[in-house]
Amino acid sequence: MLSNMFISFYRALKFSVKDIFRNVWLSVVTIIILILALFSVNLLLVVQVISRAAIDTVRDRIDVSLYLKPEAAESDILSLRATISGLDNVREVVYVSKQQALEDFQTKQKNNPDILEALRELDTNPLSPSLIIRPQDVGHYDSLIADLNKISNPIIESRNFDDHKLMLDKINTITDKVSQAGFFVSLLFIFITLLVLYNTIRVAIYTHRAEIGIMRLVGGSDWFIRSPFIISSIIYSLVGLILTTVIFYFFLTLLQPYLETFFMNYDFNIIGYFKANFLQFFVLELVGTAIINIIASLVAVRKYSNI
Amino acid sequence: MITLENVSKIYAPNIKALDRVSLDIKPGEFISLVGQSGTGKTTLVRCLIGEEKPTEGKIKIGDWEITKIGKSEIPYLRRQVAVIFQDFKLLPKRTLFENVAFALEVAGKSTKKIKSLVPQVMKIVGLGNKMHRYPNEVSGGEQQRAAIARALVYQPKVLLADEPTGNLDSINAQEIIDLLRKINEFGTTVVLVTHNKDIVNRLKRRVITLHDGRVISDQAVGKYVI
Repeated sequence: MLSNMFISFYRALKFSVKDIFRNVWLSVVTIIILILALFSVNLLLVVQVISRAAIDTVRDRIDVSLYLKPEAAESDILSLRATISGLDNVREVVYVSKQQALEDFQTKQKNNPDILEALRELDTNPLSPSLIIRPQDVGHYDSLIADLNKISNPIIESRNFDDHKLMLDKINTITDKVSQAGFFVSLLFIFITLLVLYNTIRVAIYTHRAEIGIMRLVGGSDWFIRSPFIISSIIYSLVGLILTTVIFYFFLTLLQPYLETFFMNYDFNIIGYFKANFLQFFVLELVGTAIINIIASLVAVRKYSNI
Repeated sequence: MITLENVSKIYAPNIKALDRVSLDIKPGEFISLVGQSGTGKTTLVRCLIGEEKPTEGKIKIGDWEITKIGKSEIPYLRRQVAVIFQDFKLLPKRTLFENVAFALEVAGKSTKKIKSLVPQVMKIVGLGNKMHRYPNEVSGGEQQRAAIARALVYQPKVLLADEPTGNLDSINAQEIIDLLRKINEFGTTVVLVTHNKDIVNRLKRRVITLHDGRVISDQAVGKYVI
């Protein structure tokens, strides 16, 4: 019984492979459409990964600076720092002393000898101490600013509340739009794949109508008649996915240098990300593609194989 | 062996292809089913292989009521009730051997069994030396022999021959009838559907005549009466 099933499966597989080569151009077109669909899905995934990384980068850089009077006593500064640390939505408050500010400034301007010379001629440290406040959640950035504005302390010299939130919102908007466009393009390709595969199987059945008629005549079961077409759709999915993986890898290799420039000073490697998650992506995409293709071929087979 | 009880087949809107046909065919019989074109002979054959369901009535093959069988049982019915046609229905891109083997491949038989069984059957039908030829390389009579060989590989209980000599000259036609008689002698029930008067008269076997979907004559040793 088991060996009979194995023999039948082997014959269905043979029949299916022969059919793929018999209609080779139709098979090529089907696989190309599959590649386009899978490529657009993968591209959507990359856009999401990049946008997440971009938001994380900006989030890390978002901070609010309170500049303090140069003569402010250390104890007053530490007391203010404690007050701010106690506010909601404050992740961290970093105290940058006058000396630290000077060192940071000198490091930053090390390639600018004129400025360093001018600083030396001043004889005193012109920089103010400051408190750098990093928010817990950038979504509550506005309320943090409001809370900081409420603090009234004589040692506060000025407040620098750059609107980082605007930049974050812009990134969010752009990535949302790109994701939406990608989602619709992917849906479109998936729909086209369904139609193309449906047609491929229909043509395959038409090519084999004599064989199918004789199979029915001599007692071929529905399973034996239909399975080669289902197997063909699985083969299309597998070949399409393998080729997409190879093409997409080369695409990521080309993309990586641009991303490195974009994410300067931030460790972001899209190839590494895909390598680390390769198995998960491959299996999920294979299962998804196979399900879509099997549905398309089942509908075509049910409709056209009753010859 | 085959029992038909008041079998009717009505096609829309109201065309009666079979009209209350009742028959009893015993195991090992050789029956000629005759009648003019459009009298319901082919419809009867289609009902016997489960390709059509009668509108009314019962058809039994042995204890198997085939009017009630599901779609999944039809392949098993076709292995018991084999059929050959006027147009042979061979695959042109396969040799005669491969055409016969195809029937066994479909049933999931092993390659070893196929290699041993097919040459035996080909020899029985007289194609032992031509089995590796393609259908277009042999005569019509030989193509029909290959179709008979394909029908025989399952050792069916019943062989339905629907106008098997329709495309053949008289010599080839007689050879096919002789082959069917030989198969019948081995114990297979043969139902020959034809409107060839000479063949029916020479056979001197049971003749059932259909007219307008009804049985108008059933003679144990009959002649073509229309």
